Amino acid sequence: MKRLAIVVVFLLFSTRCLGQSQVFYTGFFPEASFTKKLKNEDRINFKIENQNIFFDNRNPEGTNAKYTHYRTDIMAFYDWRLNATKSVALGVFHRFQDGSNRNRIIQQFALVQRQRNLRISHRFRTDQTFTKDEKVELRFRYRLALELPLNGASIDPGENYLVLSNEPIFSLQAQEFEIENRLIFTVGKLYKNNQKLEWSLDYRTDGFIQEGFRTRLWLRLGYFYSF
Amino acid sequence: MKIITNRLWQVFLLVCCFVISTEIQAQDKIEKEESIREREVPHIATEWIYDAFEKIRKPKWYKEFSEVGYSFEAKFRYKNSFHSVEFDSLGLVQDVEIEIELKSLSTEIQSQILTYLNENYRDFKVNKLQIQYSGASDDLEDFFDEDAKDGILINFEMEFSGTDLSGDSRIWEGTFDQNGCFLGKRIVIVREMDNIIF
Repeated sequence: MKRLAIVVVFLLFSTRCLGQSQVFYTGFFPEASFTKKLKNEDRINFKIENQNIFFDNRNPEGTNAKYTHYRTDIMAFYDWRLNATKSVALGVFHRFQDGSNRNRIIQQFALVQRQRNLRISHRFRTDQTFTKDEKVELRFRYRLALELPLNGASIDPGENYLVLSNEPIFSLQAQEFEIENRLIFTVGKLYKNNQKLEWSLDYRTDGFIQEGFRTRLWLRLGYFYSF
Repeated sequence: MKIITNRLWQVFLLVCCFVISTEIQAQDKIEKEESIREREVPHIATEWIYDAFEKIRKPKWYKEFSEVGYSFEAKFRYKNSFHSVEFDSLGLVQDVEIEIELKSLSTEIQSQILTYLNENYRDFKVNKLQIQYSGASDDLEDFFDEDAKDGILINFEMEFSGTDLSGDSRIWEGTFDQNGCFLGKRIVIVREMDNIIF
């Protein structure tokens, strides 16, 4: 864990981050997630994400600030319950993006550790992405998330909470290796009937190994409903 | 593509409206606990805590609401163990729970508890064990500051993950008497974790 923390800090504060020629764009990222709990306590999840760019330094000078729809992702998972805190899932994913639509299959193992007033989630994913006229991209991702109540020792309906997560993503495509990192700071509120609304700052960096270092900053608004 | 995006936006905005309207209806919460300041706790409860645990550092106070009313709880570390003390709405102490290790119990009690687990679960892992002291307010105070055991009822509460003989894999809370004999159990509900796993 210590090593992982060192790698993450290194990735985030790498001198390449400070370069003037790096690509940077930012925007609004709404998402909605619906999870149906089945009688056998397995789950089916459907999620939709929509990324919209408000500022992009790749645009010609003077037109950096411009609204563009970037991409919309839809995905569905079947999640098998292993016990109260562990599950494995299989998912399918489709991306709508001008000139770059793609499909993905996802395998996931997740476990949640319950501490006195903290939940720690570990999510391991592998996925394979298929894009027309491109070689298959293989990825491995690990997300560590800490969830902390802001009112009391546990999160009850009507109360706020924080989630801090980090996810390094390792990818291999056409024999080229790449690393991406996603650091997310979230303030959420739990509502009645297992509904949550979350505001997040999502800071993504990639292009560490190959050419084209990028940073992206998203303001996310997420709605989660479990029924 | 633009039509799809616009439709998605409309659905998202509708969902947000639904959440906001639900929030308005959700004002009368059924069960919750909230962090409170010490001055919001009945004086009789704070007085009891500082009498029973003389060298206590400032405890964290919580107000717990249930369908039948509310109660108060103090949580704190004392002599390297995590303590929680439950008070009723008037501030009268109900019980004191202290986190302990299974191996700190006598071999007879350990053996009694482990026999129950081995006979009733295919596999198990102890997550947390608490010794619970209950009794009248004065008896509890005498127990903690003078070690007087009169009028004190001792139980053990154990949270454990396990798969029972029917194959049901859950987190359970089992209650055992002072000799380690099983009294009862309940399922611990794990709050939905869709936001941290999907």
